[in-house]
Amino acid sequence: MMKRSVAFLFALLLLCSLSGCETMGLGNISQHIGTAMTVVDATSKASRPISDEEEYYVGRAVAAKILGSYQLSNDRELTRYVNLIGRTVALHSDKPFTHGGYHFAVLETNEINAFACPGGTIFITRGMIRTTSNEDELAAVLAHEVVHINKRDGVAAIKSARWTQALTVIGTTAAKNYSPAEVGQLVSLFEGSIDDIFKTLVVNGYSRSQEYAADEGALQLLAKSGYNPGALDSFLKRLAQQGKASGGGILKTHPGTSDRIENISGKAPSGKTSTKAIEARTARFVSIVH
Amino acid sequence: MKRIVIITMVFLFVATAVLAETVTVITKENTIREYNKFFSPVKAYVKYNDKLEVLSINGDWYKVKFGPSIGYIHKTAVEKRTASSPGLFSRKGSGVSESEAALAGKGFNPQVEASYKSKHPEMKFYLVDNIERFIVPDREVTVFIANGGLVQP
Repeated sequence: MMKRSVAFLFALLLLCSLSGCETMGLGNISQHIGTAMTVVDATSKASRPISDEEEYYVGRAVAAKILGSYQLSNDRELTRYVNLIGRTVALHSDKPFTHGGYHFAVLETNEINAFACPGGTIFITRGMIRTTSNEDELAAVLAHEVVHINKRDGVAAIKSARWTQALTVIGTTAAKNYSPAEVGQLVSLFEGSIDDIFKTLVVNGYSRSQEYAADEGALQLLAKSGYNPGALDSFLKRLAQQGKASGGGILKTHPGTSDRIENISGKAPSGKTSTKAIEARTARFVSIVH
Repeated sequence: MKRIVIITMVFLFVATAVLAETVTVITKENTIREYNKFFSPVKAYVKYNDKLEVLSINGDWYKVKFGPSIGYIHKTAVEKRTASSPGLFSRKGSGVSESEAALAGKGFNPQVEASYKSKHPEMKFYLVDNIERFIVPDREVTVFIANGGLVQP
């Protein structure tokens, strides 16, 4: 009996070592973790050599640079409201968690615009908020920006040559602290990366395909969150009317609004929203925004 | 004979422990929840680089063990790392080079930000810190979602 027990234990051990512990179910876990990570990689299409932590530090500097050009709002009630909408939408996104989390802030300018800094800080201007007519449209704008972060579009704006230089500086050593000369080189690359992203966000805009993808992703996010996906279409139509008068801002950095409307035509998922819920959202939007 | 059984069992236990899957927290801070839901009760708080043992997978959530706490954490808050390739680039199927892997968590870090700040004192990092400190508590988010007839994630 004892011999049989010993034989059984050895057999179990052998099986475990040969199969990578499939008998414990751990092999499956490993496989699934791999799959889950691959999905995350697929959503974060920019295969740039940058970790979430690095993206966070780049994003902080981009945000600081934007705050050099725009005034941050001190309206706590509006900031809280924008954060509540933004967090609700972000939690339904492909990447509900980033290294430093999602943060939403309002910029005091009449310019109609919004910016997604790498890592999760999103700015929306007072002018943009005024252009929206209800909470669902405001959610549509924030969802569009959340998708830019999910897809790491900001990071993708960094010139590839900078990565080659960064790799040269860092090499393959395990050390995390650099010599003053190495830090100097990295700061220079950091500075260049921030300029690349700032120019894309504020001056040149993302590519047409990135903007279309952000609009399409926003439709999905709105539906998942319980907002009306049709709000993006109604917002873009109002933007087309109001934007003609204002010029600049989002119209300077985004594809033609009529092209964006055409791109999302027929792509909005069907969603059911109760009249009572819409009334509740409209009431809080009116009390805070107007 | 008894000794052989005990040694075998100990060996088996150690082998299982070594082969257990662990993931590393990649967000500054996060929580282990009682259920696989964003707003379920918090079982434990974790921070960047904490190692969690994966017990099972439920959709987008991992059931993990952290110290004495067992609960759930969302898959995007963690990543699987290996000793040879730490960071994002050890993700299975990511197909990145070894040199890219070496960059993970190193290139742009607090040391670089500190140097950048001292070079550019005009940059308003204090405002960015204020933005990051503006936290809306979970409870407010759940009430907001419920009152607006929205979908609880």
